Amino acid sequence: MRSKSITRAAAVIAAAVMFVGVAGAQVPAASPLPADPAQAQRERQISQPYNNAPVWKEIRSGAPQFTSLPGRETNVLIQSEGQTWRAARVPISTAGGFLFALALLGIIVFYTWRGPILVQGRPTGHLIRRYTSSERIVHWTVAITFVTLGLTGLVIMFGKSVLLPLIGYTLFSWLAILAKNLHNFTGPVFAMALPVMIVMFVRENLFRAYDWPWVKRFGGMLDRSGKSEVPSGKANAGQKVLFWLMVVLAGLTLIVTGLILDFPNFNQTRQTMQIANVVHMVAGMFGIILASAHIYLGTIGMKGAYDAMRHGYVDESWAREHHAFWYEEVMAEKPAHGLDAAPPAPPQHRIA
Amino acid sequence: MARMKFLCDAERCIECNGCVTACKQEHDIPWGVNRRRVVTINDGVPGERSISVACMHCSDAPCAAVCPVDCFYKSEEGVVLHDKDLCIGCGYCFYACPFGAPQFPQAGAFGVRGKMDKCTFCAGGPEPDGSQAEYQKYGRNRLSEGKLPACAEMCSTKALLGGDGDVIADIYRQRVTTRGKAAEVWGWATAYGRPDAKPGQPGAPGQPAPAPTGGPKT
Repeated sequence: MRSKSITRAAAVIAAAVMFVGVAGAQVPAASPLPADPAQAQRERQISQPYNNAPVWKEIRSGAPQFTSLPGRETNVLIQSEGQTWRAARVPISTAGGFLFALALLGIIVFYTWRGPILVQGRPTGHLIRRYTSSERIVHWTVAITFVTLGLTGLVIMFGKSVLLPLIGYTLFSWLAILAKNLHNFTGPVFAMALPVMIVMFVRENLFRAYDWPWVKRFGGMLDRSGKSEVPSGKANAGQKVLFWLMVVLAGLTLIVTGLILDFPNFNQTRQTMQIANVVHMVAGMFGIILASAHIYLGTIGMKGAYDAMRHGYVDESWAREHHAFWYEEVMAEKPAHGLDAAPPAPPQHRIA
Repeated sequence: MARMKFLCDAERCIECNGCVTACKQEHDIPWGVNRRRVVTINDGVPGERSISVACMHCSDAPCAAVCPVDCFYKSEEGVVLHDKDLCIGCGYCFYACPFGAPQFPQAGAFGVRGKMDKCTFCAGGPEPDGSQAEYQKYGRNRLSEGKLPACAEMCSTKALLGGDGDVIADIYRQRVTTRGKAAEVWGWATAYGRPDAKPGQPGAPGQPAPAPTGGPKT
């Protein structure tokens, strides 16, 4: 009951944040009201006819003036924010790039040192359903679109310094056009799938009291013997943190800023798009770095994790070792003899 | 070698939009795209000023700096040009440009941007001078024919000057001396650097403007 209303509240908040963000960005540059400045100019024209300084000051301020030509901000003679944006992008993208490289390096080092997280006990052959097919469809929709967006985004952001010197202007331009279009058309699909995923997965990602010991010992992940794993619910504290930071925070930020950038036909001002671009860049790098850790643990980093999301089922001993509280919960609901004794390979004999 | 610049005399511009029309006519520019525009300050008030603005062909061009495919290059005359074959239509140059010069014809639904289009100082693009391909993408290459930009040539009050920076600055200086006022040249500090900038600041005299990026054409 409680979690249901929380789910609903989360959905409402997510929708509201998106609506406000997108709606707020659509305000076009309006002409200033000809109130006092005009009167001041009229008087100045009499007292100081040769003084053009106020005019130049007004031009330099970037305030909208009058023009008979239609178009986005054609009435602004000069905008200085572009210079700020140009200057801000360089350190942000450089830092983002190095952090990403560092994250990949960290994963490689961790894998070499720790190796994959294995299941200690022998597989029992009893399978427990971990994700429903709709949960998996939504997860993979988000996953595939996110990876597409991440890779194409990296091409647009770092291609000029990384790929262009290697493959040359013509080929890189072709690749960048492909990347831009993939990015722009995959974005809206991601924007539709992610909120659904948040609603579906928010319940199992609410923090519980037993998450604290997990955080304190980092889930026992740093123990190479793999024998000191901290018990957790359906999602462990690490997964929960990842859910709130990567999926909710970074994901929703990317959607709001991405939609602002993707639909320039709403006459957004340049400043709106510059801010959206910088926020998009930061959130994107943040999301990509977290996703690298998630993808690592979901594939080669942990045995059985990929199958859980691919087929939806996990072995009993996998559940007992990696998500002890969830396993107990499932077993309390289902009597032990209810578990399927079929071999784990074909994914059709399922009951739980 | 001449360094091509634009100069708009705000004391002379009468907002006739002749430059805009001349440009559209010369280059056969599509509907919805204006490479040049006229903006009026204090419209309808005594002392109103009008200024014609297009790409100023900056020394340290922000568009070239932010372009993700590095499609901009500089001609020998200091004209900032771009290669439409490389352009991906991302709009970054439009975010960065102080003058709002880059234009995007809408090429698809939902405001999908086409290849960027902007003032070429009537100097065409990377294709061979005067070729049909160059005309279709960038418009006429008047500079290669020994002519100056159509907008400035067409200006009825000679408010808009386009040409070698030293020559047009001299013309302007003469005007200022004659009329005894209005020495300010609009946009030059932003586009061509500031002689009074402190060392280290962008556009400082001792600091050479960043070399034009390699660009598609060497």
